[in-house]
Amino acid sequence: MLPQNMGSETNIKLPFSFVFFSLIALVLSQILLLLKGNLMVDGSFRIPAIWSSAHLLVLGWALMAAMGAMYQLVPVAFLTNIWNEKFGFVQFLITAAGIATFSGMLYWSPQRALIPGILTLLGILMFLFQMFMTLKRQAKPTILTAFVGSALVCLFITIFMGITLIYCLKTGIGIEYYQVIFKTHLLFGLTGWFTLLIFGFSYKMVPMFSLSHGFPMVHARYVYGMYVSGLIITMISFSTNNHVLLKMGFFLLLAGFSVFSWHIKIVIKKRLKKKLDKPFTFALVAIGFGNAIHFAAFILLWTSSSSTLAAPLIYSYILLWIVLSIVSYLYKIVPFLWWTYKYSKKIGKSKVPSLKEMMNERIVVPVFSLFIAAVLIVFCGLIFKIAILFNTGQFILSILFIIIALSILSVLKK
Amino acid sequence: MKLKEKILNELKTVYDPELNINVVDLGLIYHIEVSADADVRITMTLTTPGCPLHDSITSGVRYCVEGMEETQKVEVNLVWEPAWSPEKMTPEGLKALGR
Repeated sequence: MLPQNMGSETNIKLPFSFVFFSLIALVLSQILLLLKGNLMVDGSFRIPAIWSSAHLLVLGWALMAAMGAMYQLVPVAFLTNIWNEKFGFVQFLITAAGIATFSGMLYWSPQRALIPGILTLLGILMFLFQMFMTLKRQAKPTILTAFVGSALVCLFITIFMGITLIYCLKTGIGIEYYQVIFKTHLLFGLTGWFTLLIFGFSYKMVPMFSLSHGFPMVHARYVYGMYVSGLIITMISFSTNNHVLLKMGFFLLLAGFSVFSWHIKIVIKKRLKKKLDKPFTFALVAIGFGNAIHFAAFILLWTSSSSTLAAPLIYSYILLWIVLSIVSYLYKIVPFLWWTYKYSKKIGKSKVPSLKEMMNERIVVPVFSLFIAAVLIVFCGLIFKIAILFNTGQFILSILFIIIALSILSVLKK
Repeated sequence: MKLKEKILNELKTVYDPELNINVVDLGLIYHIEVSADADVRITMTLTTPGCPLHDSITSGVRYCVEGMEETQKVEVNLVWEPAWSPEKMTPEGLKALGR
């Protein structure tokens, strides 16, 4: 039997601290990319400014936003309180200091990024410990626990590989394995951590935001099995340099993602809410993009241009799947946090606004549509090596990110 | 009007902030018991066990009924059996969802 008082209200200052930091990191990463991104057009991805921007975006924004969202959603999805909120605040301070100095060092002096990297690692390890202790309290683990738990394991591997990369760079030891470690770092960071996490929470949020009822959940097991097998086989293919295994791994990743898309379609068909909220609709659009990019990545393995198109595909995967999903869900999560803080003691006593009234939804369709268009422009700029396309798309993106950040923050005025 | 009906009517002012539908039309209120001393016990559910607005909605129901002059002590009993289903919604609730 489920406990009566599940106390789903986390101290909102905790998730909000992460979300605030993430929004600032998002804007900074885009400005940096705008200033130094022209080098990317020539195929120069592995330069300090791009490392710095990429880590500000992936660690500073996406990881911090994901951590903030997890501090809010884990108690809700797993019906358990956060293990220790004070520990959470300390973890925030350490991780924020670590990511800020790490991104700075990657820009100014990559050889000195080891110490800030270790500080970031410590913050992330503290987060993993916090989540491990929280999930341990869950009375009955579900398939969502498998997705989120595996995502956390992937996050640990990603960070471990990242620190190993810096160590190789600094000491020269194991430099012959640099490529293998780098590919594994990307694989587990993007498809492991973020995708598994979005899958897991989508199974909670999609039915919740669409009020779906009576849908099957058996597909989720196949999604998990195929996607995790795909990750493991792809990782093995990197270390053995086996192209057949790589194709197998990518096929399983594509199959897992496709079953997930199909499953979400079934859930949406069973919805009671006829008209879906606009930000949530874009979270569903992001699933389509993620699936299409997995398909393109698998097809590219059979062509000779896979190495040249890898970077533009990874870029579009980050922006059109991970970033679009997180931004769309932030438009739902942030109003909820603020509403809980401001109105949870007033409901039943006086008239309170609905969550929909907390956010200006009118800008969502034009801003998100332009966002998709701008990413596609940058994508074309990277593929065809046309600087003007890249710069135009990136300029629009930077402006849009600032609008999105301000629009999300505007909820605080409500 | 009987006190039970009055309470039910009053509860129509408590809205699920995500769906913007009141708890009565949403079919969340299962049972209202009123004792001879006007103590009230409300048995209710939520659309899903992991509802993020769990505390807010149940507190809202309690605050609302506590605010009525005719009532004394108010207790909210949250249950998951029988589970909520769309059939428990009123025609007004379904209409608000576009059905």
